[in-house]
Amino acid sequence: MEPALETIGLFKRFGGLLATNDVSLSVERGEIRGLIGPNGAGKTTLVNLVTGVHAPDAGEVKLGGQSLRGRGMHEIARLGLVRSFQVTRLFGNMTVRENLMTSFLARRDKGESDGAGQTEGMIALTKLGPLADTQAKKLSGGQRALLQMACGFVVPANCYVLDEPFAGINPVIKDAIIDMILDVNRRHRATFLVVSHEMAIIRRLCQQVTVMMEGRVAAQGTLDEVARLPEVIAGYLGKALE
Amino acid sequence: MRGRRFSTGISLGFLLAGTIAAGVLASGLPAQAQDIGIGLVVPLSPPGDPVGGQLIRRGAELGVETVNAAGGVLGGRKFKLYVEDSQGKPEAGVAAYRRLVSENKVAVVPGFFHSSVAIAANEVANEMGVPTMALQASAAEITSKHYEVAFRTHVVDPVRVSAFMEFIKQKGFKRVSMIAETTDYGIGIADETIAQAKKAGGVEIQKVPFDRTVTDLTPQLLQIKAFKPDLVINIGVGQPLDLIIDQATTIGLLPTTPMLISYDAPVRPQYWKLHPKNGAGLYFIAYFSPKAPLSDIGTAFSKAYVEKYKEDPVYGALNGFGAIAIIAQAINAAKSTDSKALIKTLETGTFKSWPSNPVTFPRASGVYWHNWSAPVLILHYTKPMEDWKEAEVAVQYAPVVPKD
Amino acid sequence: MFSTELVVQTVISGVMIGVLYALMALGITFIYSIMRMINWAMGEFYMIGSYLQYALVALLLGPDLWWLAIPISAAGVFAFGLVVQWSLLKPIFRKPPEARDDYATVVTLALLLLLRSLATGLAGPNQFSPGSNLPVVMVGPMPLAGARVAAFVFALAALALFYCLLRYSWYGLALRATSQSRIGVQTAGIDVQGVDRIAFGVGVALAGLAGALLAPVFLVYPTNGLITTVKGFEIVVIGGLGSIPGALIAGVLLGLIESLGAAFIDSAYQNIYGFALVLLILVLRPTGLFGERGREA
Ligand SMILES: Nc1ncnc2c1ncn2[C@@H]1O[C@H](COP(=O)(O)OP(=O)(O)OP(=O)(O)O)[C@@H](O)[C@H]1O
Ligand SMILES: [Mg+2]
Repeated sequence: MEPALETIGLFKRFGGLLATNDVSLSVERGEIRGLIGPNGAGKTTLVNLVTGVHAPDAGEVKLGGQSLRGRGMHEIARLGLVRSFQVTRLFGNMTVRENLMTSFLARRDKGESDGAGQTEGMIALTKLGPLADTQAKKLSGGQRALLQMACGFVVPANCYVLDEPFAGINPVIKDAIIDMILDVNRRHRATFLVVSHEMAIIRRLCQQVTVMMEGRVAAQGTLDEVARLPEVIAGYLGKALE
Repeated sequence: MRGRRFSTGISLGFLLAGTIAAGVLASGLPAQAQDIGIGLVVPLSPPGDPVGGQLIRRGAELGVETVNAAGGVLGGRKFKLYVEDSQGKPEAGVAAYRRLVSENKVAVVPGFFHSSVAIAANEVANEMGVPTMALQASAAEITSKHYEVAFRTHVVDPVRVSAFMEFIKQKGFKRVSMIAETTDYGIGIADETIAQAKKAGGVEIQKVPFDRTVTDLTPQLLQIKAFKPDLVINIGVGQPLDLIIDQATTIGLLPTTPMLISYDAPVRPQYWKLHPKNGAGLYFIAYFSPKAPLSDIGTAFSKAYVEKYKEDPVYGALNGFGAIAIIAQAINAAKSTDSKALIKTLETGTFKSWPSNPVTFPRASGVYWHNWSAPVLILHYTKPMEDWKEAEVAVQYAPVVPKD
Repeated sequence: MFSTELVVQTVISGVMIGVLYALMALGITFIYSIMRMINWAMGEFYMIGSYLQYALVALLLGPDLWWLAIPISAAGVFAFGLVVQWSLLKPIFRKPPEARDDYATVVTLALLLLLRSLATGLAGPNQFSPGSNLPVVMVGPMPLAGARVAAFVFALAALALFYCLLRYSWYGLALRATSQSRIGVQTAGIDVQGVDRIAFGVGVALAGLAGALLAPVFLVYPTNGLITTVKGFEIVVIGGLGSIPGALIAGVLLGLIESLGAAFIDSAYQNIYGFALVLLILVLRPTGLFGERGREA
């Protein structure tokens, strides 16, 4: 069977810097893959290549066996690939409810439901009810991260690429997000690529992790396997995980 | 269509033949010694006003034909007209003047539609000595510098204002509002009106200036309405003029209060297109009306012009003709084409042009120096869509030149 | 000179014209908020709207059907806007955003010159008027041209419709989201190029609508969009770039200040009063009365 998400020899150069250098990886349907590596390793760049923010200099991305070459961000989104941003991208002057509703914009063209019910359900699930009519720019960092996740999850997609969804968030919201990920994964067999520096969460979520260092795929395996490799300890973890 | 193209072809052929003949003449045979060259500097291409230039040229050409048909001047010497295109540009006008004087040896250089061209050419003329005659350029500077060589046969602003005053006196108006654009033209006329009214006495004047880029002139017109004037003088040029007419109608200033327009814009066909209903009843300054009496030579010219161009001559053409007529009379009186003698004769003699009032170019004060103009008319549209040639002549004001 | 009647009349006249200026400002602000570019050729779309209105009324429909000509003219400008976005602006927006503003400025300025020369070439430098059969209407003590009242009512209706569509429709949601984050809206599966095209079309159609409405009042000639554009930009600065209520309120404010200044200070400086207000706002509140300080990246 085709992998749900596959990258084949991706290269991306920014000036003199090779931000991704021949990155190939493949994620099976229903898998939650961890993507770890030191700052500047090229993780966000890879995410940007996958989601069409940047076009690769060489190589290609396939979603469910279908090449994404030449497709714009919005087309890739419509193929069922949802991403979240390391720096949250919300519609600051719009309310929490309106932010959630934008997730249905693309669906409406296909004549599907207008999402009012799902939106309210998601507001209840995330306990954002009291803030439903508050402008997104007035939320705290953690609330924003939660809202961003909620926007991604309110419409079930087949593939999620999440760039540091847990950074700077309190443990309660972290758990809420983890629950949402596991729930969607279980119910829809959705595929995930999760970038994070939090090994405890990676261990809870991911069977397999990919380690990136200096633009390359440095290692791949279970977290415990890769955490034992001397080059990963030296280049990223600093010390072995307990 | 075919027919027209065919005849165009023929006339082009003639034109070509003519040009070649002229070339042969110019290069092979020198112009006949007794011919007298007359220059004509007019705009015949953009950015000048080619229509304005063309009308003057038609009049001047017919004038030369008339003079030559009558046996020329100084006992048989013929006029030869050299036409130069100023393009409305001072530098082109100056070059044209130089060429006419040094190459074509002309006796006089009339023409000049654009004031800037006339002003620039006069600076050179002041050195080269051959007189100029501005036919449709109104800037004060053209004559107020009191150059020996500078003559003019066009209405200067004080004359225009004297015509206003004549009109105000005739109608017995006591309160007059002026809505004036903040340009040299608008403010110049408004201030001159205030000065002349003060001198005459008995008239209260309101001056309401406006920026000519403003499209909503309602605030200005409301002030005027509140002043309750007997007459509104519309001193806008182009589009503001039309906006004032429409907006004054809306707030009820028109048609109850008479309006006088400061120049002859309403003779253009566009006027009735823009004001089919509210254009009637207005008064406007004009420089010519077929209803005003002409001199005998003016009448003859007018007939010849209609025959040739199948339309009535307008001011520009009449003034083009008039210049040639005046020059011919002056050369005969001076018995010479020498510049100094000619200037002397123009300054002292009395000549005849197309209107009924006699032509003189006295060494008068201010802008009246070497300046004669046809009577200024105030025409009145008495009904909608009226042909300007039918408009009632409300005032015919022959300028009284103040003596020094 | 200082009569109550004159004050009331001047105020009415200022409010009426202010709303029409606001229409123009709204077009500028709307295009900016979606596309993050200033369309310097806005006045030329106003001009096209006025010529279309003239052509329709004078040559095709007659003055009694002016109300039919208005939406047709605005739609014509909308269609032309789509073509301009597709042919001239879309290629710019494929480039990375850094130089986009500069390219957009150059392209729209070139368009301004082109359209003006085209208008002069096709119809000459003279002014035209589509004429109007509407009677003069008394608003309190103020007689107003029927065409001007009609323009005012149409403009208010257009502003209300625009606001409702933006506020309560799905497409409005997409437009508002795009104005907040162009990247964000793409991850929601929206084609920003498509949104741009509609936004540019709608923005210039607002200018075209103003042109069509004001054609019988302020005449039709190649540079007639100039002054309305200047007012539009002034309003945008006063009200705050990107704010719709700001455009309406600042429009009325500008209309009032200009009318009152012209009537009671000095009529020669009518254009200066609005400009003074602009300077004052820039000093006191650089983002305008309703402008937002920043936006989500
Ligand atoms: N648009 C860009 N232009 C130029 N350089 C870039 C751009 N995006 C990323 N880079 C560079 O590419 C390298 C990889 O950056 P990237 O953001 O992919 O790292 P990362 O693995 O996500 O790091 P972090 O864990 O800090 O988020 C960095 O050196 C970064 O400066
Ligand atoms: Mg990153």
